Amino acid sequence: MRAVGFAVVTAFALSLLPLHAAAQTRGASTIPDITGSWERYGARGGAGAQRDATMPPPAPQPPLKPEFLKEWQTKLQAAREADAKGTPLATNATLCLPEGMPAMMGATFPMEILQSRGQVTVIEEAFTQVRRIFLDQPQKAIEDVEPGFYGYSVGRWEGDTLVVDTVGIKESVRYQNVPHSDKVRIKERIHLVAGNILWDEITIEDPLTLEKPWAFTFAYRRNPDYKLLEYICEDNREYADEGGLQKIRIGPR
Amino acid sequence: MNSILRPVVGGVVLVLLVTGSALAHHSFAMFDHTRTLTLKGAVTKFQWTNPHAYIELDVTDAKGAVTHYSIECTSINMMQRAGWRSNMIKSGDKVKAIVAPLINGEPAGLLLELTLPDGKVLEPGVPGANTYKRTPEQE
Repeated sequence: MRAVGFAVVTAFALSLLPLHAAAQTRGASTIPDITGSWERYGARGGAGAQRDATMPPPAPQPPLKPEFLKEWQTKLQAAREADAKGTPLATNATLCLPEGMPAMMGATFPMEILQSRGQVTVIEEAFTQVRRIFLDQPQKAIEDVEPGFYGYSVGRWEGDTLVVDTVGIKESVRYQNVPHSDKVRIKERIHLVAGNILWDEITIEDPLTLEKPWAFTFAYRRNPDYKLLEYICEDNREYADEGGLQKIRIGPR
Repeated sequence: MNSILRPVVGGVVLVLLVTGSALAHHSFAMFDHTRTLTLKGAVTKFQWTNPHAYIELDVTDAKGAVTHYSIECTSINMMQRAGWRSNMIKSGDKVKAIVAPLINGEPAGLLLELTLPDGKVLEPGVPGANTYKRTPEQE
């Protein structure tokens, strides 16, 4: 009996092997395991910073068309002058709004990636931001996507690289306060550059505001021990006054 | 902490400035970077919430007059990673807070360092905390 029992268990165990192998590969390519917690990596620079090939180059200035570049620089200057006076301008962050795409991929706080059947999900701890990347589905026409903070993302694995296309970003959702139109499209190539270093190569296209695509890369380091915390804007004491300046509520509620 | 809260390198200084403020949830420019206040008082409330925690503090001067200060901390996510817990501070606790005061003179400030009743010193991890000039405590 004992021998029979052993044989049954062994057969059962062997039957699991092909399933396990199938989960690791699709066709000839190997899909990397990027599930888990990640934190922003390699963004610190400046004099004396140790840099290596796993750290992406700094982001260039957005190649905005002249009229949009002027608007962007004017607002940037106004924000700097307001900061210098100690009266900062209110922003979406003041109002505790989520960052949206692509700013959430900047991973202000650690970020979690989940790979499940037909979908890759990215959760950013700050503001509990969630974006869903639907795999192997056709992209929608921009006009068929209701604009939002994260847009509508589809992706596919090209070898070891997750290629993602996102449309439908609200015009008020801006990265680095860079203006964009409702025609904006965000392309991403997400791949490991080392065992525990992940890159998200981002290219932003916008035929109305950009002279050419704006490309930059975020890098992340795997942090297998980190469990994301909750983040709820439970009592935001910062607010925008009638002049658009950032203020804080003094005294307990 | 450093690996979590870091300014993003920009190709130009302007980009660096914008990104720095974004990572800090909002601009801290409303706080005075040129001097600090050392506040010793009794906690009336420890507000453990996002986007920022707050310590409400009653400070009694030599003449017995009480001034209430609202002290802004950072995100409770950052504070937890730096070792803070919601139950570390209770109403009535006597604490010492070193803060960058509001420039506009209102009784509030940004917490740079807190000393608990047992002498333990905590920092909330304010971005660029070392850029705030510490000035001596005034009795």
